[in-house]
Amino acid sequence: MSRDARGWRIALVPDVLVNPPAHIRALLPEVLGVLESSGYGMLQLPPPGEHRLLLAVIADQLAEYSHHGYAVIAIGMRQEQGYGLHWRRLAPLLRHRGAELPRRHIVDSNVDAALEARRLAAQLAIYDLPQSEQLRWRV
Amino acid sequence: MTQNAPRKVALVANCLLNQNAKVCEGARYPGLVSPVVEALRSRGYELLQLPCPELSFAGVRRWWAVYEQYDTPAYRSHCRRLAQAIAPLIERHLRRGDEVILIGLDGSPSSGVRFTSSKPDWGGRPNRPEDDWEIVPGRGIWIEELEAELTRRGLPSVPATGWALDMGRFDEPGSRRDLEQFLDSRGQSARPRDEDSGAQ
Repeated sequence: MSRDARGWRIALVPDVLVNPPAHIRALLPEVLGVLESSGYGMLQLPPPGEHRLLLAVIADQLAEYSHHGYAVIAIGMRQEQGYGLHWRRLAPLLRHRGAELPRRHIVDSNVDAALEARRLAAQLAIYDLPQSEQLRWRV
Repeated sequence: MTQNAPRKVALVANCLLNQNAKVCEGARYPGLVSPVVEALRSRGYELLQLPCPELSFAGVRRWWAVYEQYDTPAYRSHCRRLAQAIAPLIERHLRRGDEVILIGLDGSPSSGVRFTSSKPDWGGRPNRPEDDWEIVPGRGIWIEELEAELTRRGLPSVPATGWALDMGRFDEPGSRRDLEQFLDSRGQSARPRDEDSGAQ
């Protein structure tokens, strides 16, 4: 796969962190910028509400990644219900598919945004699968 | 901007925000396709990521394929399920008068907008060492089914273009110019929404 540039790491991101409303934008880290500089791809979660079919579709994708050597992390926002991650619905969907629940990293709009961006970047930098799993899949 | 003011929303092919969705050897970036994200966000577009139909149908270790191989009842049914999953979010934007555009992936058998890949005789043993598929004008299967779902809901067609990642030889500066021209033409004209939405 020498021509392939994929990073093998993916972040599950709530809509509010992808498209932050103007009134809180300055309070939040620039998550997409951090993902880009950290080499992560993104799976976007929908805004609050009922999204049964879409969450099932997202769970299908997450399970496929987690079964094939990709590291998945979920980035939540403390001030959102369920951190914006739809965890109560998503967690059983993932268990049903035999996939491990992703580790969660929670950002807080009450903390300095630049500090939160650095904390997120540091977490993303060290997060990955064990080396044995990387060697198994990433050839 | 007030909370109820019309917004600008870009429906974005899954792999433009997550290159891990690409078929093996197809990823050109580690994760986000940053020129696409920058072009959209600098013009005030919100992002709405579409599901990846190929990944959830054939998996991350799928073979390369062309339009004709995915043009099956089962794959179209799968795409319709995905379209039904994402359409309520798109419908909400269109009903409230938001400007909605679609950025697909030109050359893709699924997510192509202006161009897709074709080779009617591909099949059987995957022994094609040369990139001998053809790029032909037209939508990919997923975009066809997504647009059909929006039509079924009585929604207007969405202006669309494609990032030319799957056209054989990838030309990032050319793709960037192409996308920026499309986006800037949206701001300069008051054309009807469906004028530039057809395959070119």
